[in-house]
Amino acid sequence: MRNGGAETVADLVEPGRVHRRVYADPDVFELEMERIFGRAWLFVGHASQVPNPGEYFTTELGRQPVVMTRHRDGNVHVLFNRCTHRGAKVVNERCGHAARMTCLYHGWSYDTDGTLVGVPMPEGCAEDFRKEAFGLARVPRIGEYRGFVFASLAPGGASFEDHIGPIKSNIDDLVDRAPDGTLAFDLGVHRYVFNGNWKLQVENVLDSYHVPFGHASTVNKEGVQFARREGDTSGAKVVEAGQAKTAQSWKGRRSYIVGNGHGWTSNTALDDGKRSSPAFDAYKRALVEKVGAARAEHILTPRLHNTLIYPNVSIMGLNIHVRVIKPLAVDRTEINVYPVRLVGAPDEMNFGNLRLLNVTHSAASFVQTDDIEAFVRTQKGLRCLAPEWVDISRGLGAEEPDRELNATRGSAMHEMVVRAQYKAWVGYMREVA
Amino acid sequence: MEAAAMAEPKPAVSTIDRAVFEAFLFEEARLLDTRRFRDWMALFAEDGTYWVPATADQRSPFDQVSLFYDDRALMKTRVDRLEHPRIHIQTPPSRTAHLVGNVIVDEADDANGRYVVSSTVIMVEYRDDQQRIFAGRQIHTLRRSGDGFCIVQKRVDLVNCDSAFEAMAVPI
Repeated sequence: MRNGGAETVADLVEPGRVHRRVYADPDVFELEMERIFGRAWLFVGHASQVPNPGEYFTTELGRQPVVMTRHRDGNVHVLFNRCTHRGAKVVNERCGHAARMTCLYHGWSYDTDGTLVGVPMPEGCAEDFRKEAFGLARVPRIGEYRGFVFASLAPGGASFEDHIGPIKSNIDDLVDRAPDGTLAFDLGVHRYVFNGNWKLQVENVLDSYHVPFGHASTVNKEGVQFARREGDTSGAKVVEAGQAKTAQSWKGRRSYIVGNGHGWTSNTALDDGKRSSPAFDAYKRALVEKVGAARAEHILTPRLHNTLIYPNVSIMGLNIHVRVIKPLAVDRTEINVYPVRLVGAPDEMNFGNLRLLNVTHSAASFVQTDDIEAFVRTQKGLRCLAPEWVDISRGLGAEEPDRELNATRGSAMHEMVVRAQYKAWVGYMREVA
Repeated sequence: MEAAAMAEPKPAVSTIDRAVFEAFLFEEARLLDTRRFRDWMALFAEDGTYWVPATADQRSPFDQVSLFYDDRALMKTRVDRLEHPRIHIQTPPSRTAHLVGNVIVDEADDANGRYVVSSTVIMVEYRDDQQRIFAGRQIHTLRRSGDGFCIVQKRVDLVNCDSAFEAMAVPI
């Protein structure tokens, strides 16, 4: 695979199907690390994770450790977390504050913009050694939109604006819900891992077809799911009462694609007129006070369920959160689910969101655990050499333009979004840098 | 005054023998290991909570994520799901063995019938060809109820609370 021509990779994707090797072949995974995670715009973190100068947050882009820092001048930097001397990972904590980032091994220390500021026993350095040339390496490109920090590990390629432009309004949809118009990622993170390929989670976030069966254990005898939003007394109707059939209202969900692999699914039908609780009502008042009644009404009208910003982040509009997908190996993936604090909303509203996210997307949650089981079993099933192909043909040819949204539209029971992801996938994978 | 109170916990001298609290904890463990989740839930007070923090020394469930933070309503949804025939993450079901030890009665307020009991818990879970271990310190806040106790809060601080977990389905 690694030495194969571009055609070899592209041959793994056909209209309506993808080859099992896309999920199961370690060589394909290595190529993904190089060609997708090595150059696509990847979500790194949120600026609120480093609110003050000297604060840092460590993560991985693909498999490479990076550290996001806030420098004294207020700028956010994304640096390779690797000592320029002998290679040790410099910052070992997940987050914190440090005036200097000091390598444990020989004590080289770096400023929060990556500049090398201290080398013990400098008299031993080679004559032409220049500290300026040994700062922590910066990732080639960085972009930020409303606090969402992205980075690309390639100096060239699509601009940040080209990549993120078509999906910006989906970020707005979440951020605008905060009365102060900004989010804070300071409520912790749900972390889980599974023995499956990273794309199984990517494909799942916009898959509404799996819900009635995959999440059967979350609905009651009336086919209604438990309440997942603050202010609701029950969740969506997923299955027709007393019948093993997808509910009519669920079938009406739509999905949308806008290029670059990005897409979203339309909102879950809930009785928004009846949505009320002391926490939600107080939040609504806070929002109205900040943005006015008409604007608040617009913001609180659900339009989105899940949004995928390909390849590594999704935003959920129902139990609001941001989900980061981290590939570890061809058959191993880590998921990080960040609750978001709506800055300016009453604490009880933010707690309501947090409390419900615990039961939908913690490692011990009611919803995500059945998805993970599906991913694990899919990875096992794909060890079978026959059939060679995975079918993603539902709704093939049924897509239609949505001129108002400047998108392509389909039924959320179809697989248009998955085909769009593979179109982007092939785009990255076939192109030799 | 307040600092002094924090430095020296109340002496936990109770008219109730420690063995009585141990018997309660052992019985709770047995209910979990025999998958009698509904009976386990019935041990909790109506205002009771089950909390497994996701960070070490977590101060509150209200401003940080938790692995579990169930009030009775959420607990009921959880138990309903555990009894559902199509809960995929329990097909096949987990088998567990709890070991509860190092029991200490931290606080005993006989006048008000309120007790805080801490213990070390180890749970071995086996499911679908995989065995794993959960371990940590658990703190039960109990209220006298009739001849026995009900749980006001069960808190389990896992040693690996902030790690990335494989999916979990059964309470610890």
